[in-house]
Amino acid sequence: MAPKRKTSGPAAARSQQSTLTFNGRSSKITKPSATTPSTKAAKKLDAADIPTPPETSQIDVEDIADTSAEKAVLEQAQEEAERVAVQKTPEEEEASKITEAQIKKYWREKESKRMVKRIHQEDVSVHERVLREFDITSQYGPSIGIARMKRWQRAHRLGLKPPMEVLAVLLKEQEADNIKAQRSHVDELMSSRFNES
Amino acid sequence: MVRNDEFDTSERVASSYNPLHTFRLPKGEDRRYQHQFADMYFLRLAQVKPMVEEIAQEAWADFKIAGESPRRVDRVLDVRQGELCWMAGTVYMEMPLKPNVLDDISKEHWIAAPPVREKFLSDDALDQVMLEDESGRLRLTGAYLKTQILVTGCIIAALGTENANGEFEVIDTKVADLPRQPERWERDEASAALSGKKVKQERPKAGKVAFVSGLDISGADDETIGLDLLKSYLLGEVGSVNVATDIDRARVSRLIIAGNSFADSSPIPSRDEVIVRKQSKKYGYDSTTFNPAPSAALDSFLADLLPSLPITLLPGVNDPANVALPQQPLHPALFMRSRNYANPPGVNGNAKGEEEPSWFDSVTNPWDGDVDGWRMLGNGGQPIDDLYRYVEGDERLDMMESVLRWRIGAPTAPDTLWSYPFQDDDPLLIKECPHVFFVGNQPRFESRVIEGPLGQQVRLIAIPRFRESKTIVLLDAETLAVETMAFD
Repeated sequence: MAPKRKTSGPAAARSQQSTLTFNGRSSKITKPSATTPSTKAAKKLDAADIPTPPETSQIDVEDIADTSAEKAVLEQAQEEAERVAVQKTPEEEEASKITEAQIKKYWREKESKRMVKRIHQEDVSVHERVLREFDITSQYGPSIGIARMKRWQRAHRLGLKPPMEVLAVLLKEQEADNIKAQRSHVDELMSSRFNES
Repeated sequence: MVRNDEFDTSERVASSYNPLHTFRLPKGEDRRYQHQFADMYFLRLAQVKPMVEEIAQEAWADFKIAGESPRRVDRVLDVRQGELCWMAGTVYMEMPLKPNVLDDISKEHWIAAPPVREKFLSDDALDQVMLEDESGRLRLTGAYLKTQILVTGCIIAALGTENANGEFEVIDTKVADLPRQPERWERDEASAALSGKKVKQERPKAGKVAFVSGLDISGADDETIGLDLLKSYLLGEVGSVNVATDIDRARVSRLIIAGNSFADSSPIPSRDEVIVRKQSKKYGYDSTTFNPAPSAALDSFLADLLPSLPITLLPGVNDPANVALPQQPLHPALFMRSRNYANPPGVNGNAKGEEEPSWFDSVTNPWDGDVDGWRMLGNGGQPIDDLYRYVEGDERLDMMESVLRWRIGAPTAPDTLWSYPFQDDDPLLIKECPHVFFVGNQPRFESRVIEGPLGQQVRLIAIPRFRESKTIVLLDAETLAVETMAFD
């Protein structure tokens, strides 16, 4: 056995070899430059640098996870947009003739039936309000997991007579390439990641 | 030397066949599983409710109890206490013994799994029947409910009143009843008319259609006797020497195999068994996991029959097809010799782009189509077996009759029967009344003719399992009479 080494107290421990450390302070991998990058970044960070969220209309379907329900709905919406671009069905022809004024009139009539105006919808456009009302109407079926356009078509095929104004709004949104408007708001709320409990 | 024309040869009667592809699902990527199943219930309610309401309106418009006439209620939740009213909705059975995902989780934590229950019925107090539509659910009570077959998913109209407990006491119910039945040869004549051919063609006299199910082939030795006898019968080799009088066997024009051709011999191993198996590596293929004997045995059975007899093959619950309804056709790769008699993939027969029906037709489960002009609808037994677990008793024909009268082919799908999530259209709805409704893999042979309000007549056939009963069912395609043939 090797002879025992004598160590005694903290004073002796300090005189030994320096030990290996892997913290960033004592072992630098890079050469220190004139100005360290961390200080530079701290100065520049302000409200203007926070990236704005991408425009809703430019959302790319490929960016979303493959198996999510959101992707399924948006793919449906894209198929419907392509179908309408090629050939419109008779009800779509009729609906594309409906003007903004008529849509607003339809919405005013719906609002007038209620006793109080809808709260929390001040910053929502009339189009989106009409579509949300369409989502909640349960007689046309569940609105989750299906694009709004497809839901309207399905309700029409089953003879449930969904309002033409809703189709007009959907066509206008399609022309504006607003693919996000095809997913119902209820769907977004129910599948939001903050809803996991 | 014996001259051949001393003995009359008998020719097999031709079978006229025109299948429908109602239950085919889109292939591969086009199948979407992110859809909600609520869409299926909505589709059923939206399509069947108008018809139920029409029938209920006719029946109850003049109905009076103590001078009060019933009022129609739009939504299930709009009923008022003490008022006689009726509404239509989907039935939902709240049964605590139904398979519950919590049981699966507890199976993973505890060693012993609870035994599979034969029926979901529990004591009366625990099972609840509810009527549901888009607005909500309403609990139904009353002694009348016990006289009816009710399962989750069937759509009925219920007449009654709300009592003090908030439950709806039912006095009477109505269902949509049988839909319109097409005439015999209607589809063939329609397509002939469209293509400009002469409509009223002389139809040759149709033969017999043989139904068999539950062959349960596993390649074992003890089953070959029954199969060989069946083969000999169908090929016309068995019977009396005098061919001219014994014409029965040559009259079998088609064989329809209604599910469970393969035996349940290699069940899916549980997670523990898979781990044990993974640890013991073997060279080559592991014969405990893959055994080619069953498909080879079935293939040789079919290939012996196919040269002279056209066959329609439906998959069943034990067959290697998908688990969820509608099961897609068995892949031709399973049948090395028999697939020579099937159409090669991607072949379009006539100019209209419709597929020519192939001699060996591997079809979906459930399946519908025209055989000898009659519209037939059939399945491999899963919907009826699942329905059996909801109701008391074992009256299979009553269950089959209810399925037709509700116009929903598999009412318990997707609740306790796995199903593809249909979003746009539910092919499990019965839109046209068949002439023959056959269900395979039933405990015994039963048959009955039921009648509909518009004069429809449907022959119900419950086909027994061949492995146990050794019987097949023969349907006379001219008179729609049934008889059985036993091979033991």
